[in-house]
Amino acid sequence: MKNKYVFVALMLVVILAVSFGFTNIYVSHTQAEQDEEFVVVTSFYPMYIAAMNVIGETEGVTLKNLSEPQTGCLHDFQLTPADMKLLSTADVFIINGGGIESFMEEIAAQYPDLVIIEACDGIELLCDEHEHEHEEENAYDEESPHAGHDHGNLNAHAWMSVELYRKQISNIADGLAQADEVNSASYLANQKLYDGKLSELQQLQEEIRQLFAENNEVVLLHCAYDYLALDYKLDVAYCMDLDEERQVSAGEVAEVIEVVEHHGVKYIFAEELYAKDMCNLIQKEVDVEVIYLDPLTRGEYTVDSYLKAMRKNIDCMKSAITN
Amino acid sequence: MIDWTSWLDYGFMRNALLAVLIITPLFGLLGTMIVNKKMAYFSDALGHSALTGIAVGIVFGMQETTISMVIFAVLFALLLNKISSSNMASTDTIISVFSSCSVAIGLAILSAGGNFSKYSAILVGDILSITETEILYLTVIFVMTVLFWIFGFNYLNAICIHRTVAKSKQIPVKLMDNLFAVLVALIVMLSIKWVGILIINALLILPAASARNISSNMREYHLFSLIFSVFSGVVGLIVSYYTNVATGPMIVILASVIYFATYIYGRKMK
Repeated sequence: MKNKYVFVALMLVVILAVSFGFTNIYVSHTQAEQDEEFVVVTSFYPMYIAAMNVIGETEGVTLKNLSEPQTGCLHDFQLTPADMKLLSTADVFIINGGGIESFMEEIAAQYPDLVIIEACDGIELLCDEHEHEHEEENAYDEESPHAGHDHGNLNAHAWMSVELYRKQISNIADGLAQADEVNSASYLANQKLYDGKLSELQQLQEEIRQLFAENNEVVLLHCAYDYLALDYKLDVAYCMDLDEERQVSAGEVAEVIEVVEHHGVKYIFAEELYAKDMCNLIQKEVDVEVIYLDPLTRGEYTVDSYLKAMRKNIDCMKSAITN
Repeated sequence: MIDWTSWLDYGFMRNALLAVLIITPLFGLLGTMIVNKKMAYFSDALGHSALTGIAVGIVFGMQETTISMVIFAVLFALLLNKISSSNMASTDTIISVFSSCSVAIGLAILSAGGNFSKYSAILVGDILSITETEILYLTVIFVMTVLFWIFGFNYLNAICIHRTVAKSKQIPVKLMDNLFAVLVALIVMLSIKWVGILIINALLILPAASARNISSNMREYHLFSLIFSVFSGVVGLIVSYYTNVATGPMIVILASVIYFATYIYGRKMK
């Protein structure tokens, strides 16, 4: 009769041993070398690439990213205990700002001493208001820069504009130089170097801008492209944010088609991953060119990722227009 | 080797441990009655209603959606009880109708403008969301539940065994049913943020179901249910911390392993 208790005890001990054993194996396999370095943590992909360029070869600085590679956009990102652990070792945390890091309040509360560099600092962000009639006029919240939940209609994808991205880079470099004075010269030098490459990129953009001159009305299927439109001085006829978890209603598809027809829109900018089906549908109905662009929320973790992806975007646009 | 105590250095983990230590015994305790009363589906529906609760809170512009969640869940639970006692259709049909209806309303409101991803955290749960105030709420509920159990368990058990006989013995059947439902609603709502809608029901059901597999009387049933619940909670929390897995699912995995083990053992016993 009482071997029931023996069984329960045995079972629990075995489960305990097995789960801790596996955890132990897992941890010892993944434990990274943790030196007493200056640790910079970035919130997600574009910030990581930006910081990578600013930090460059600077010695004694470790750069780490919060979200795991390939997780993509931050909208659906959940901080894990490991992220909190990582942040507790961090000296500087680089975020994009504009409300895209919805978890910032938690972090600020947990780590009041962490230096936070907001790349969008001083950048005037666009608003996500194409879909809705102007319900709230106070969407620009200059007066409450840290109120995370009010940011719903602020479009934070500023890195998509090369112009603004350059500003972000200089914000990051300034912030790092201030936080880590020993290496400040190195950061600023790297920033200059990268800035040069970015300004070359801008010259390429100039070319596209002229190509767009005749047909400068576009429909966007990702709000990040608002900033492309800004760069190329395009007129946005309609913008809909399609991403991971967006369910499109039939009415919305009809609305896009109507806008395309009504305004004589020639081009749609979309992200291939999420908008392909919808674009096929639209193309069946109306004669419009769909240009699939990379919103740079994920990709390879290399120094030139931003430049490469942007160039690819430019090539895509160019070939679509000249065809 | 890893340092098995390093997780206690973090404030959020200490909060989480405290919450686990308060909440898992409650899950174990209430679970026994939920399993006995065959209310698994009921508590599941209740968990799903959290979505609607949040949505309602947002519609009314509340900052603290926990309150709207709790209020909504309590009303929802009472309504479910009321309707299923009127015997119009079978209980599971009614619960299913209510559950899907409320989930649909919640999803419709929360996904307006394509923003559902903001709330997807609540589906899997987020251990970091436990705050000191919530622990305080949990403690209050803990005390309430224990008191309720001490004074009301015999009644509940009697109702469970035979409703009509219980009624004839002057036991306030409806009141007890409603109180129990409200209690379940409160506990589910206060822990759903870190356990997650998709699996909260498993935490209520699994420890009790495992205990039922092997126990031969009420006392054992409670004892095992409590042990299993606390065990999977604490171990799940620690493992999830080191392996970087969401905590709720980890706890449920452990609880399921216990269930299967007891199931096999229980069949042999007979």
